[in-house]
Amino acid sequence: MPLVKRPASDTSPSAPDRAQLATKLLDGTDQERWDAARDALEHPDGLSLLGRALASERVPRVREAIFTALAKIDTPDAASVVLPYLRSDDAAQRTAALDALKAMPSAAGTHLPALLSDGDQDVRLLACEIARRLPADESARVLVELIEREDQANVCAAAIEVLAETGGPSSLPALARCGARFPDDPFLAFAVKAAADRIGAR
Amino acid sequence: MADPPPLTSEELNRLAEFLYRRTGMVFNEAKRYYIERRIAERMSATSSRSFTDYFVQLRGDTRNEVESLINAFTVNETYFYREDHQLACLTTDLLEERVAAKRPGDTIRIWSAPCSTGEEPYSIAIWLLENWKDVDAYDIEIVGSDIDTDVLEAAAEGIFGKRALMRLPPPLIERYFHELDNERWQIIDDLRQSVRFSRVNLVDTKQTRAQGRFDVIFCRNVLIYFDDESRRIAAENLFDNLLPGGFICLGHTESMSRISPLFEVCRYSGAIVYRKPQELRA
Amino acid sequence: MTDAAKKQILVVDDAALVRTYYRAALEARGFKVEEALNGLEGLEKILLQSFDLAIVDVNMPQMDGITFVRTVRAMELPVSSTPILMISTEAGPQDIAAARQAGANYYLVKPIKQDTLAEFAAIFCGAH
Repeated sequence: MPLVKRPASDTSPSAPDRAQLATKLLDGTDQERWDAARDALEHPDGLSLLGRALASERVPRVREAIFTALAKIDTPDAASVVLPYLRSDDAAQRTAALDALKAMPSAAGTHLPALLSDGDQDVRLLACEIARRLPADESARVLVELIEREDQANVCAAAIEVLAETGGPSSLPALARCGARFPDDPFLAFAVKAAADRIGAR
Repeated sequence: MADPPPLTSEELNRLAEFLYRRTGMVFNEAKRYYIERRIAERMSATSSRSFTDYFVQLRGDTRNEVESLINAFTVNETYFYREDHQLACLTTDLLEERVAAKRPGDTIRIWSAPCSTGEEPYSIAIWLLENWKDVDAYDIEIVGSDIDTDVLEAAAEGIFGKRALMRLPPPLIERYFHELDNERWQIIDDLRQSVRFSRVNLVDTKQTRAQGRFDVIFCRNVLIYFDDESRRIAAENLFDNLLPGGFICLGHTESMSRISPLFEVCRYSGAIVYRKPQELRA
Repeated sequence: MTDAAKKQILVVDDAALVRTYYRAALEARGFKVEEALNGLEGLEKILLQSFDLAIVDVNMPQMDGITFVRTVRAMELPVSSTPILMISTEAGPQDIAAARQAGANYYLVKPIKQDTLAEFAAIFCGAH
């Protein structure tokens, strides 16, 4: 019988001290930075270290680990560290930041009103996906407010996409008014109708 | 049985899209009848007056309704040689690739997590003994882990009923089990001692690290139950539990694509398998 | 439209309503449509089945459209030769250049009429 039985290997290291952690997280090899990012939240000072690391980190998988650690910390401050990356010029960085915020919905939710009225339309558009993670009533309320005032069709389309899931009968009049404001956009007309059909009126 | 609810096409789309994003399970119009039956059961169990009413409960996850609906859609029964195409893929493709860089006598580690009452890790052991030509050339270590200590005790005991053995050919039952009473069979001692069991919560990094690194991980039908944050953590834990170039197999309705970009997507024998990159770039 | 009936198109976009919009346009012309929610899922689909055309959004979670195209082009034949039509809200010359450089065959800027999309699909699939 070639199948062997082995004792469990118990090699889980204890958490390193702050100086060690900072050195590994900021100056270590790829593997050390990945490990340090995953350990950082065990430290009271983890948030500030993760923030510094995120600013200089270029390796996608280490950035992923930093974002996940921030999502695990799950406080409005942790969300604040992620928010600037929604404005990145790099699509992959914006995407990673948004995925991280979606994994910390209540913490990200505290920033949502500001994000939905941000001057940058790309930020408003991405913020709609964060609203998907809120309780349905709250999500529908903030998105209805948005589509009533929003002048960019793309942002409205992103909001309607989420309203198709979270909206209720009270969202229907705002959907109709939004569609009417963009009569030349064939997709928006389609989206308004599809969302209304999904929400239903029963 | 209650009549299926009059689900409109767009309501079905709304439900399918929600499940797709929340769990990664895929449903479409072709499965409409199947979905309607399950929804009717859950609407009745939750005393919902309409689909809209039910959708509010599902989305709000009232009384863990998401888990209840996933359970209604998944066959929770585990049995020997379930999804044996993945076992075939293990021996024809994955292990061949893993041993390319190994020498005879080296160790191959395989992890079944979650392993429930042990059908999967024992199936892997039996499959390798029966179907892999190189089985004698390597030290093969199989670990089964679960969060539930009750199922782990049962797994270590290795006693199974008729239903668990329904897919096994009789000669294999004869070879690897001995019959007890009342249509119950116990795994032979040699095989029982060759699978190690441990309690592991896949989102607890300390616990997963203690398991060491594996060549192949089977992680079927558990990530569908996790929320976004837990799935990210579990994916990173699993990444750490793989040797470079190691593989992870998920359940056939599952995908890593909604969870994590860490792994490479590979296709073997018609199955999608995920690989930890061999060379992690600087 | 007997030609179109045999043609398979992969639509990769994270927005459900966008996928529904494209699907409606394409199925009305007789195309068969598969959907994926992001670039990674698109890769899984394209590895399991060959497509006559992939219609891909630029901004998506987990894997964006540019990375998707680059990855497909680096794969083995015949997967690597799948025609890819990119769609985006971004209309700047650098956005179009990035898509071209990654290996997209063509780039359309939103908003797009359903008829326009179906016409492009027919051209790429040789089902005109």
